[in-house]
Amino acid sequence: MHLWAFGLSALRSATTGGRRYHVWMGTLTLIMLVGAYAYSLQLRHGLGVTGLSDHVSWGLYISNFTFLVGLAAAAMMLVLPAYILHDVDFSRAVLMAEAVAVSALVMCLSFVVVDIGNPLGGWHLLPGIGYLNWPRSLLAWDVLVLNGYLAINLAIPFYILYSRYCGRAPDKRKYLPWMYLAVMWAVSIHLVTAFLLAGLPARPFWNTALLGPRFLASAFTAGPAFVILLLSFIKRETSYPIAEGAFTKLALITTVAAQINFVMLGSELFYKFYSPTLHGINARYLFFGVHGHHALVPWIWTAIGLGAAATLALMIHPIRRNPRYLAIACAALFVGIWVEKGIGLVVPGFVPSPLGELVEYTPSLVELGVTAGIWALGMFVLTVLVRVALPIELGQVRSPYLDDTPAAPIVRPRSSRVAARDTGPVRTR
Amino acid sequence: MSDARLTDPAVDAADATLLQKRVDRRRALGILLGGAAVATQAAAACSPVAPLSDEEREVKLLAWREYIKGNYRFMTEAERAETIARLERIAKVKRGVDVRIQSTGAQPGVEFGYAFNISKCKGFRSCVQACINENNLDRRAATQYIRIFEMENGVVDLEEADATFQHEVPAEGHFYMGTQCFQCANPPCVKVCPVGATWQEPDGITVIDYDWCIGCRYCMAACPYWARRFNWSEPEVPVDQLNPNQHYLGNRARKTGVVEKCTFCIHRTRQGRLPACAEACPTGARVFGNLLDPDSEIRWVLANKKVFRLKEDLNTEPRFWYFTD
Amino acid sequence: MTGRSLRLGAAGLAAAFLALGCGQRGGAPARERDGGERVHNIPSSGAAIAHVDSEQAARNATREPGALETVTAGPVAPWKGPGGKPFEVALRTADPTTALARKFGTITLQTSARARAPDLGQYPCTSCHLGRKITLAEKRIPDAHQNIKPQHPRQTGGACKTCHAPDNVELLALQSGERATLDHTYRVCAQCHFAQANAWAGGGHGKRLDGWQGRRVLMGCADCHDPHKPALERRIPFRAPVLARPRADDP
Repeated sequence: MHLWAFGLSALRSATTGGRRYHVWMGTLTLIMLVGAYAYSLQLRHGLGVTGLSDHVSWGLYISNFTFLVGLAAAAMMLVLPAYILHDVDFSRAVLMAEAVAVSALVMCLSFVVVDIGNPLGGWHLLPGIGYLNWPRSLLAWDVLVLNGYLAINLAIPFYILYSRYCGRAPDKRKYLPWMYLAVMWAVSIHLVTAFLLAGLPARPFWNTALLGPRFLASAFTAGPAFVILLLSFIKRETSYPIAEGAFTKLALITTVAAQINFVMLGSELFYKFYSPTLHGINARYLFFGVHGHHALVPWIWTAIGLGAAATLALMIHPIRRNPRYLAIACAALFVGIWVEKGIGLVVPGFVPSPLGELVEYTPSLVELGVTAGIWALGMFVLTVLVRVALPIELGQVRSPYLDDTPAAPIVRPRSSRVAARDTGPVRTR
Repeated sequence: MSDARLTDPAVDAADATLLQKRVDRRRALGILLGGAAVATQAAAACSPVAPLSDEEREVKLLAWREYIKGNYRFMTEAERAETIARLERIAKVKRGVDVRIQSTGAQPGVEFGYAFNISKCKGFRSCVQACINENNLDRRAATQYIRIFEMENGVVDLEEADATFQHEVPAEGHFYMGTQCFQCANPPCVKVCPVGATWQEPDGITVIDYDWCIGCRYCMAACPYWARRFNWSEPEVPVDQLNPNQHYLGNRARKTGVVEKCTFCIHRTRQGRLPACAEACPTGARVFGNLLDPDSEIRWVLANKKVFRLKEDLNTEPRFWYFTD
Repeated sequence: MTGRSLRLGAAGLAAAFLALGCGQRGGAPARERDGGERVHNIPSSGAAIAHVDSEQAARNATREPGALETVTAGPVAPWKGPGGKPFEVALRTADPTTALARKFGTITLQTSARARAPDLGQYPCTSCHLGRKITLAEKRIPDAHQNIKPQHPRQTGGACKTCHAPDNVELLALQSGERATLDHTYRVCAQCHFAQANAWAGGGHGKRLDGWQGRRVLMGCADCHDPHKPALERRIPFRAPVLARPRADDP
């Protein structure tokens, strides 16, 4: 009964809102439709409609996948201080972080699905009727850990929100062990994804022990940066109380992680360029271009420029404490790492090929369309999740089957545009 | 030579015990869903919009049965015969060709090895031509399994080599080095496949079940020799150029979105013949034989010539050696 | 030795080779026997049996043209293959152009760099020079055999008598005084190119016909090398790979 009501009020929360909200969701839906059309073309004609080739067999899709796994992992890692160290400042941010993790995972899995050439054969992965080559294949590991992680990240917030919705305090003994597991799992999904690439001696560009740690460091930069952007938006637009302390801490985490990320990038560059070997040709292609081919050079230097500038800016306290500058720096970091760890990591692994043939890669329109569609899907999921979670967390929405009078909202919304209808309990009958 | 074989008996045994269970489950599923499919097709046949001809209906049913079939590696002999009969029938109905698909297994006591004489190769690419025709390679995408690299004397560096030469060969001051799938004894491509669609046969040939492959292309990223190719679009082989002599694990029709590779011409070599590339080579640069037979030509080359393998530091143990006169 | 005894000796030698070759050809080829045993375990369903038949049919279909069974071959002496095993060499055939051609899919390719020249190594001189044999002492008519411009061996300035028997160009003369027919050129070639001959016998030089298993038949030296100009001719190779994949049309 409560569950049914929960579903209905979630649906209501997600579908009601001001004009800007509807425009936002409408735009996302439009982009998703474009993406769906692009994907239908790909389904009909095969991956030939992408810019991929036998030489560069992974491209934009897998690039986004590796980046988003990082986002999913990092968002969850923020849970650690909040629930385990009882850091109150943080606990508000955590629910948002979980929403980010879930939407990032939805995008990850979508990117894997669209990258597959024979998606109808997906059932071959199912143990029992299919054959999952576990534990030998790192991709089988990734399938397991990503889906497991998604399940955990859906279950924990659902339990917490549902308990609140039913007017109970969530029982720590019930969810804390899963929280611990989720935190460890977060590290594992990102390491597994790094190992997926690092475990291939065929590709010296990825075949480095530093890849795993680098993935973690860059994820810890991009993840909190994204959460900061999201929280500052929520803070600006809704009544959800987010303490300044949360921003301070998140900004600190971002800054330290960005510094570590740069140290690691520097080590990588030193290793590749101080005594250049033939194996360093992929790095040479990425940073300087080889034999007149340099499609990625402007991208990687822009990314490094953005990252370096943002890291330097964040190291200056007044800048970091200014919400406006903080947001700009975080956006720069996010974009920088998206390039560095996405296209800038996946594509150079294939250029030149292991036999030294140099074929460059440019994504096609269809590929861009599908990618945009999946990002829109992710943003859509994120918006819905936040939209559903906020009123429950604020106590604005509670089960109509509760005997007690509905709790008053903690704080009146500052902006009636967004939260106009969220002021009272939602009756489902 | 025989110390680095990576047949994994433990894994195989475990697979075998799982086999029956899996087959039963899938068969049950197949019957269930197959019935549904027949029902839908019957309904579709009755509808006035798109009446299906008998042949179209037959192909649809065959395609459905093909869709729910299992991994070739775990099929019983009867299941193998059934799927081959279906595939031959589909080829007949859809393209009007009589193909013969073998399921010939590995000969006992045979492990294939290949040696390539870089002193002899002249870059004629006859091997490439024979390979394309023998293996029904996609003509539209101009897929080629074999690469012949033209290298300047004094440098063995693939980065500096050129595979796209198109001039009179052999060019002055150059030598030629061919690559294809090396059928590694420790294949990095096999272990990364998430669905076990590619595996090493007892005679050392790494094969792919094209119908089990999901097209994730992880194996392509894992291969240090760039030996695998992907079907980016529907592969095209004109009917009059189709080689009807096929093997399930070799040169039969591939479909969009799956990976394929050189199989040492499994449909020929398992019958004692030479791979097309070795037979077509007009210079005698290619030596092929049974590594387990001490009196084979390949063993003579390994014993009497100075040989090397490509990227030996990767511990892939290729069954493909280069040698010089 | 008189000319007459020489002639007799050569004829006898040739006859012996032919006889041996026929003997070899008479028995069922080893490959066939192996092939029969190698068919995998057959399930007892009708479909599977039909399938075995189709495999047999496939095997037969790929034998044409120029399959091993159609190639005449003779034993090689004194060289032995790997493991001391005897082997054979392809002999002159009635249809020299198809003897070394093989079918790959639907195309037929020459498996030798040099299509067997019908005017060399295949036909006896007497097929044109009716009823008489040609000796080196005869004066060469300037317009005849323009295609033969001896460049080999370089050391002797391409002298005919380095390889040919002076009294009969159809026969090859060895340093030992023995004679060899044009089918067994390796006996002459090996006198200088002993390393190549050893590699040829072992499997590191030259080409084996048709299979890696069963009967071992090698091509002879002159099947690939023009004895008068042994280096392989330069040629335009088969088409180069296309590096950039043709893009499917963007919508």
